[in-house]
Amino acid sequence: MRGSQVDIAVSAAVAALACGAAAAGAPVAVTMVLGIALFAMPGYLLAQLLLGPRTAGLERALVAAGLAFIVPIAGGLALYTAGVPLRRSSWLAVLGGVSLAGDVALFLRRRAGRAAPFRWPWGKWQLPRWHAAAFGAAIVIAACGVGLARVGAAIQPQPRFTQLWLSTRGTSAGTVKIGVTNDEGHTVGYRLVLLSEGHKEAAWDVTLANAHTWQRTVPFNGKRSLTANLYRLPDLTTPYRYVDTNGDKAPGL
Amino acid sequence: MTLAGPSRGQLRASGRDGHAASVSAGRRLLPASLVALIAAVGVLVVAATYTAGRLGYASSPWADSAYWFGQALIVAPVAARLLSRRQLGMGEAATIVVVLTVAEYLVKVCYSPTGFTFGDELMHWLSTTDILQTGKLFRPNDLLPISPLYPGLEEVTAALVSISGLSIFAAGLIVVGLAHLVYVLTLFLVFQLISDSHRIAGVAVLFYASNPLFQSFDSMFVYQTLALAFLGLTVLAAKHLASQKRTSDRGGWLTIAVLAAAATVVTHNVTSYFLVAVLEIITLGSLVARSRSSAAWASLLALAASAAFTSWIVFVAPATLSYVQPAVTGALQGFRDVLVGGHSSSPAMSVAVGPLGDQALSGVAVLSISMLLPVGWWQVWRRYRRQPWVMAMAIGSVSWYVVIAIRLFVANGSELAGRAGTFVYIPAGFIAALGVIRLTDNSLRWPVIRADVRRRAPLVVAVAVAGAVLFVFDGLANGWPPYWERLPGPHQVAGAERSVGPLEIALAQWAAEQLGPGNTFATDDGDFAVVGSYGDQNPIANDAYLYTSPAFTPSEVQQAAQQAIRYIAVDRRLSEALPASGSYFPGNDPGQYTRPLPLADLTKFNHVRDVARIYDSGDIVVYYLGQVDYAG
Repeated sequence: MRGSQVDIAVSAAVAALACGAAAAGAPVAVTMVLGIALFAMPGYLLAQLLLGPRTAGLERALVAAGLAFIVPIAGGLALYTAGVPLRRSSWLAVLGGVSLAGDVALFLRRRAGRAAPFRWPWGKWQLPRWHAAAFGAAIVIAACGVGLARVGAAIQPQPRFTQLWLSTRGTSAGTVKIGVTNDEGHTVGYRLVLLSEGHKEAAWDVTLANAHTWQRTVPFNGKRSLTANLYRLPDLTTPYRYVDTNGDKAPGL
Repeated sequence: MTLAGPSRGQLRASGRDGHAASVSAGRRLLPASLVALIAAVGVLVVAATYTAGRLGYASSPWADSAYWFGQALIVAPVAARLLSRRQLGMGEAATIVVVLTVAEYLVKVCYSPTGFTFGDELMHWLSTTDILQTGKLFRPNDLLPISPLYPGLEEVTAALVSISGLSIFAAGLIVVGLAHLVYVLTLFLVFQLISDSHRIAGVAVLFYASNPLFQSFDSMFVYQTLALAFLGLTVLAAKHLASQKRTSDRGGWLTIAVLAAAATVVTHNVTSYFLVAVLEIITLGSLVARSRSSAAWASLLALAASAAFTSWIVFVAPATLSYVQPAVTGALQGFRDVLVGGHSSSPAMSVAVGPLGDQALSGVAVLSISMLLPVGWWQVWRRYRRQPWVMAMAIGSVSWYVVIAIRLFVANGSELAGRAGTFVYIPAGFIAALGVIRLTDNSLRWPVIRADVRRRAPLVVAVAVAGAVLFVFDGLANGWPPYWERLPGPHQVAGAERSVGPLEIALAQWAAEQLGPGNTFATDDGDFAVVGSYGDQNPIANDAYLYTSPAFTPSEVQQAAQQAIRYIAVDRRLSEALPASGSYFPGNDPGQYTRPLPLADLTKFNHVRDVARIYDSGDIVVYYLGQVDYAG
């Protein structure tokens, strides 16, 4: 009968390992595998408990998948009602707890002879090698399709641009934040000229690598309008971008 | 043996006895493995055309042809295997259904392989993000206020993200992909259980796959996708409850039915209404077929589901009523207008507008299924009139004609009819499958075929396969994405997925960081969902007036004040192209555009005193209205 409890041992181990990996801050590659396994376990165990031994494999799998979805829904609602935040630890507690409770219940039922022992679902099911090879090739080709689509999305020509902006979020009273973000795909040199009522107040030469942001907080007393012209070097004749308070009140929130 | 399915002996060997089925399936897996291989090549071809589209060939006729060739590689072998005269085992039929479902799902994944881009998916992404960030349910979602009140999908995804470390996108793909597969396989099993034929079940699923939402709304990261899996599970459990003879077996299935029905209610409101409707129709069919047990279990579950969704609406989600009311009232008003005055108050014949070929395909498919249903009913009468669930399917399939009437005569009928397709195709697909198998069987008895059955029977099968492929192509052509975004590609003005690019995402991320959440934003259609989701802002509809007038007049200032608009996002590209969808703006867009919007209308805010220009990325500019003196 030892072999008949393999699934219970595996699910208990998965629950323990998933919780341990989360507590130890294991790499995503590890938590991903254990997390998905832990996600599936409660559904499997509940399906074993609820379905009779005569239920066919496909139905059993569908019920297990459905119950795997139901457990976090019910668990999440229960946690929320109890005022417990839905964080990683609480999800681990719900899924791990249901798995362990399911393990115990299934173990007891099997000992009492009221549940069928574990059997590999594919028992005598034999797939000829070349059929297996065809299925394997199909999986590889389909995965290549998804990979190709991801590559296509990565190499798709996209607009290159620079963002210039004003904001008062997180600044002290009487100041405004000016920011430049380079999304041109390469390093770009800019000159930012700050004007107050049309008169030059300050200028900065900024060289930004791609995907980098430059920002500066400047005084804004609310009595005069503020304009920021961004030039893309070497062109200093036409502003590449500009922002403008168009009045004497601070923009933003 | 006939085309309709295996003999009773074969059924016993491959249908009810799971073990025997597995063994026999193992001996005959070649066709299914080949079908899988060809379908995988089809996925690769479609992915290649998507890549071609992204590299600038989105409007190329050859890319479009290659897309359809790839789809043919997926659908045609599946249809051929299900409709062919070769023996078909239960395992093989189920495998083929899995191949079709997974292949079409992968095609959907290949369309947006690096992140969610469809508006509705972004809405649920936002609700999921809220749960992960706050640890709480029922947080407000300005994009789709009803979504947090039905948190099933978001809870499941948040749980998987939390324990696995996957991104929301990856976890979401796993959840909805699995849910979609569960739903389709539960349909297959229910069809198989009630017809006692896995061939009929497979063909019925093939018909179901011609539902225009099969590859889109039914498999997207939206709450309906998960709720459908629960609906399928409830119906499967109801079927077992009605047929189980041992009380001990019933306990398990009853628990599963109740849990799945409750999960449906928590996950999606519309699906829970349809669940009750499905169970009521099963009750009705059972009463007609005089099956008390089936009627009792179905009505009991319908009652439980009704009580669950009524309680949920009363105690948790009262806003559901105001969300659903406009659609229901509109449909009822449309019907009333039709009955009283002969036509709806809005222009009738509100069928989807698209290329002539797509419309013709749609017409042929609708007509063909409309003609197949009576043949299926005749089959029901001849062979299944004592079977309660088949009777229920026959009764339910009448809704096919109701939906056509809605589509043709009711204002906004296309939208309603389209959304109902997910549910209407369940009975219609099954009855149509009975019809098409009966017709092909009858054809094999024609003297001209019988005279040389070995050579001529494949022709009959080929015609049936061609018809099935045509139906699925109709669903793909007239479903989502729309024909003008069938292939991904460069930015499309005020479009759908093709309006979600780096510029829009950068704007949204800047808004989230520099403005904080929940600000009322005016945007065009293309930026709407991105600003609302990645930007966590509150984009509003009915803002066309801000963009279509040459001056920012006092009356517009007043209107903006009434809508509490703080920011206006202006995309200069609106002056460069007409909107692919026909409208630039969400809500009451005037439409009927003959040329792009004048640039001066878009840039007029540059010169309005106290309207600050606070963001400039070249094509997109954001203005701050907070300084305007709303009092005038």
